[in-house]
Amino acid sequence: MKIDADGFSFDFTDAINAFVFDEKDESKPNYHGLPMKAVDIVAEFSDAYIFVEMKDFHDPDSYNEVLAGDEDDGKAKRANFKWLKNYLKYKYRDTYIFRHAEDKADKPIHYICLLTFDNALNTRLQKSLMQELPVGKVSKRWRREIANSCHVLNVDRWNINFPKWPVTRS
Amino acid sequence: MIEQIKLERFTAFENLSVSFSPGINIIIGENGTGKTHMLKAIYAACDVSKSQKSLADKVNRVFLPSGEQIGRLVKRKKVSTTGNFEVTRKIPSINKSLAIRLSLSNHTKEPAKATVSGAYKQWQEHPLESVYIPVKDMMANAPGFRSLYSLRHIHFEEVYADIIDRAFLGSLKGQADADRRKLLEILQKSMDGKVIAKNEEFFLKNKQGELEFTLLAEGIRKLGLLWVLIQNGTLLNGTVLIWDEPETNLNPKLMRTVVEILIALQHMGVQIFLTTHDYSVLKEFDLQISQGDKILFHSLYRNKSTGEVEASSADNYLGISPNSIDDTYGGFVDREIEKSMGKLGK
Repeated sequence: MKIDADGFSFDFTDAINAFVFDEKDESKPNYHGLPMKAVDIVAEFSDAYIFVEMKDFHDPDSYNEVLAGDEDDGKAKRANFKWLKNYLKYKYRDTYIFRHAEDKADKPIHYICLLTFDNALNTRLQKSLMQELPVGKVSKRWRREIANSCHVLNVDRWNINFPKWPVTRS
Repeated sequence: MIEQIKLERFTAFENLSVSFSPGINIIIGENGTGKTHMLKAIYAACDVSKSQKSLADKVNRVFLPSGEQIGRLVKRKKVSTTGNFEVTRKIPSINKSLAIRLSLSNHTKEPAKATVSGAYKQWQEHPLESVYIPVKDMMANAPGFRSLYSLRHIHFEEVYADIIDRAFLGSLKGQADADRRKLLEILQKSMDGKVIAKNEEFFLKNKQGELEFTLLAEGIRKLGLLWVLIQNGTLLNGTVLIWDEPETNLNPKLMRTVVEILIALQHMGVQIFLTTHDYSVLKEFDLQISQGDKILFHSLYRNKSTGEVEASSADNYLGISPNSIDDTYGGFVDREIEKSMGKLGK
């Protein structure tokens, strides 16, 4: 199942379904249309869902929000960890709520963020994101988890770990 | 300024050639890829230009092979073999590149039997200041070490004695120039004091008094050494600074200061070679360098089919390939995915 989104081309070869979740085209059946944040792609497999969010920092347009009020371009952007972490966190949470309302949160959900950082920075961001999503049954009152796992990785690592879902820059 | 090194069947290297930046050179690679050997060969070549020693002698004392048999530095083979290395440097005053070469066989027992060739006379006519900071701190062990080293045959690579000698050089006459003063102030702020020497013993002096180096954290001793080398004029325009694993015993937060100083030294005309295993070293350079800075990252790695050490160089952090340091973090990413997602996507 091939999906093109935000400058990347995916092929989820074993997916039951995969679609652009934040679809802006009203004519498409999966049109999102709500004032909620949304991840780029949702893919369904027999035992799990994955939510995929891409942030391509080689794309100048991606810089704009991060740049707001900050003159020291590249370095500050990369240093703006908090902004990015919150950006990724709220996208997941709103998507989860949307999918819950669709009655489509019935399998474990893995959140995969595809960024253009090095592995070391990705692991640091992943740690913060896991704590804040949060991943797992973190409250004694929870009967289920809202995220089963969370991974922040670059294109090279994606292709090493997910050979059934190859990704290329489109 | 060192331009290039070529190594053939020397220590870990079968056949390798690396061209250097006139500014900063950062060498990464897994253990056993010969990073320190490369630094030592460069240092020996630099040092003999000033000390007027024989290159073979210097190499032998810096590498310290067993039984001081210099032939043991030839890459190990089952048959008799010869090895060599060649260092090329540019001498701005005559606008010329010169090369010197050390050749030896695995049967060469004494340095005197090794062959030194190339423009050795001219090389020594143009002395080059150099300093090699080894992994282990020597500042705290300075008292008595120099006299012991010169009087007794103790088993220490000469880089340890040399660094103490450099640290004990007297101060330059007159006030330090503005660039050096600025660097000294940055270091003083980080280590909260200045370094003084009394009877071969170093102290950190501040408002609280004088604290001997043996009582200081090793990381602060490193900043102290850098302070001394800047203060006494060892690190000036044209000097070659060679630093093996600056991160050792240094809190990653202090790395920001160290990298700031190294970049400033590069602006002052110091050529820098360092090895590292540490992400924070690479990342600090990535974040602090600006356009116009002269920097090259050299990755030493073993070719998967031949097993021999090869090198690739890049002028930016993301271009380093393979990047043994970031690959370690990549391994963490893989294991985390395996642990939480199992066979999904595989």
